[in-house]
Amino acid sequence: MQASRARLFKEYKEVQREKVADPDIQLVCDDSNIFKWTALIKGPSETPYEGGVFQLAFSVPEQYPLQPPQVRFLTKIFHPNVHFKTGEICLDILKNAWSPAWTLQSVCRAIIALMAHPEPDSPLNCDSGNLLRSGDVRGFQSMAKMYTRLAAMPKKG
Amino acid sequence: MDSEDDMHDANDVDSYEEDYYSGDAMYSDDDDDAGYEFLDNASDDSDDVSVSRQQKNYTILKEDDIRQRQEDDITRISSVLSISRDSACMLLRRFNWNVSNVHEAWFANEDAVRKAVGMLDTTNIKPPKAGELPCGICFESYTLDSVSTAACGHPFCNTCWAAYISTSINDGPGCLTLRCPIPSCGAAVGVDMVNMLTSDEDKKKYRRYLLRSYIEDNRKTKWCPAPGCDCAIEFDLGSGSYDVTCYCSYSFCWNCTEEAHRPVDCETVSKWIMKNSAESENMNWILANSKPCPKCKRPIEKNQGCMHMTCNPPCKYEFCWLCLGQWSDHGERTGGFYACNRYESAKQEGAYDESERRREMAKNSLERYTHYYERWATNQSSRQKALADLLQMQTVHLAKLSERQCQPETQLKFILEAWLQIVECRRVLKWTYAYGYYLPEQEVAKRQFFEYLQGEAEAGLERLHQCAEKELHTHIDGNASQEEFNNFRTKLAGLTTVTRNYFENLVRALENGLSDVDSHGASSKTSTSKHAAGTSKSKSGKGKGPTKGGGSTRTDDLTGWSCDQCTYMNPKNATSCQICHTSR
Repeated sequence: MQASRARLFKEYKEVQREKVADPDIQLVCDDSNIFKWTALIKGPSETPYEGGVFQLAFSVPEQYPLQPPQVRFLTKIFHPNVHFKTGEICLDILKNAWSPAWTLQSVCRAIIALMAHPEPDSPLNCDSGNLLRSGDVRGFQSMAKMYTRLAAMPKKG
Repeated sequence: MDSEDDMHDANDVDSYEEDYYSGDAMYSDDDDDAGYEFLDNASDDSDDVSVSRQQKNYTILKEDDIRQRQEDDITRISSVLSISRDSACMLLRRFNWNVSNVHEAWFANEDAVRKAVGMLDTTNIKPPKAGELPCGICFESYTLDSVSTAACGHPFCNTCWAAYISTSINDGPGCLTLRCPIPSCGAAVGVDMVNMLTSDEDKKKYRRYLLRSYIEDNRKTKWCPAPGCDCAIEFDLGSGSYDVTCYCSYSFCWNCTEEAHRPVDCETVSKWIMKNSAESENMNWILANSKPCPKCKRPIEKNQGCMHMTCNPPCKYEFCWLCLGQWSDHGERTGGFYACNRYESAKQEGAYDESERRREMAKNSLERYTHYYERWATNQSSRQKALADLLQMQTVHLAKLSERQCQPETQLKFILEAWLQIVECRRVLKWTYAYGYYLPEQEVAKRQFFEYLQGEAEAGLERLHQCAEKELHTHIDGNASQEEFNNFRTKLAGLTTVTRNYFENLVRALENGLSDVDSHGASSKTSTSKHAAGTSKSKSGKGKGPTKGGGSTRTDDLTGWSCDQCTYMNPKNATSCQICHTSR
């Protein structure tokens, strides 16, 4: 308990100090609970997510950093490795490949990398995975782009 | 007096063993294997008999033996490759503890092996400078003495290391391939660091996983599956029968780790076990004995009463069992309330035939299965009972009998052997029922022959069981004379031998798929089949098995004599065997 709190506090201070360092990631700790975090990440360029801002919710266990945090998308996203309804993310470092040397910040970076490089062979969103697996890149991109516009961009006017 | 007695004992035991094991060269060679300790002299003695009777193509390893071997292998690798024991251990684990594979891979491509195992080249890594170092997990700074690193030099504080390693150990055997926490690093964390940094409890668990890995990852070793047994068996691959018997006296098939199941092969056993547990049998039963309610589709068993069925609430649907039509449609015009003309006429037209036939078939096949299963299970429980009796014999009765007959317990070993034989026979007999179940129906001659063999086996075993159980008790409790007891000894020992021979021949014949039968295949007339079976059996007996004291032991007892050739128990006055006609 104490160890996880101390470590999260370190990360908190690090985030405050490096706010400008990574303009694609904005990590915010919940005001009343250091075990709850949210992050805003920018969709990577040259992907259908470009231009969108996606919100992630972190739930950090007491055994952190020995156990990984639970992360899910709050913003709707069309991606083979993200559950379309719940926002659950299928990413090895959040499951069995977790290492205590990862931080919340590096998890965000890993998720951005996942957005740029989907793994259609272990899909949580089968429709999306099937489009990619059948080679319909254009179909996938237009779907993903549409949902980015609908859900991850500020509404105009 | 004493010495004379001893002399007599010695002679007696000798001749007796000779009788039993003449021709069995394997008997005496492995009594005193290194590390073989008797926990309980009496019981182990008798286990020893059953083990040594087979050719020993396997070695039983106790926990200490396993550790010793593991240590030896590690020492060998570490001295040949000039690497630390820690690295040697990781290397061996990676190559499933196969020493020659390690050598091969290492000398083929040392760099690739080092990389795969996580043995870093440490020459380029600078030792951490003095002063404070940040821990990569808790991000606090520490002085050098409270920080540790793997070969890669990434610093973590000792508390975080302990927590990291402990988490991994509690996650399972994956801890044996633990790496540095830095994701891109890959430096191995071996047994040295575990010993240096973790609690005693975690160390113990780690050692356990390491030991398990030595047995489970090795192609030639397996744990004894008996509950509570810590021994492992190393098997010489490609060397005949898979049946092995552990020190704990549990016999199992090394190949499939089910209990020993000669003469049935592993595939049949797994099919049979699957069948016994499978829902499919339940389904067959439901299919055969029930019909689904036409409205709610729940299966209904009709066990008595008229054809007017009412389904259970909440459905409460009323229907006719025969045509499954609504009951309100039934009345005088459909043939009364207790018969259904619609069914009768439809049956004549053939509309109900298929489902009826399927039900009928399922019912037949279920009955057939039940027949074999019941007998399989009965022999199973008889075997358990016999094992319990054997134990009782060892712990209680033998001492009592020894007192009463004034004979040392070593001389009463023949009783234990009889019981061991009973246990073994029950096991074989049990599996013959699985064998019978899978014997194709159309092979009539084989089936008849098989059933005949099985019947004889059962009868022979009953004789032995009877003798070892009932007659023995007259000597334990009654006042039978010394002479009567000696007669009893001859009889029981003889019966044991005869039964053993019979069962060994039976096992061999069944393992050969009753190949002798084909030549007699045509003679499937019931009147002659018994005879044909007899000669054929005697042939198989003679062809393969005159080894085990076959010629030397002929049993005479009060009821008759057993044929040397086919082991049939003939009446006393018969001059030639009633089955195979060999003269006495």
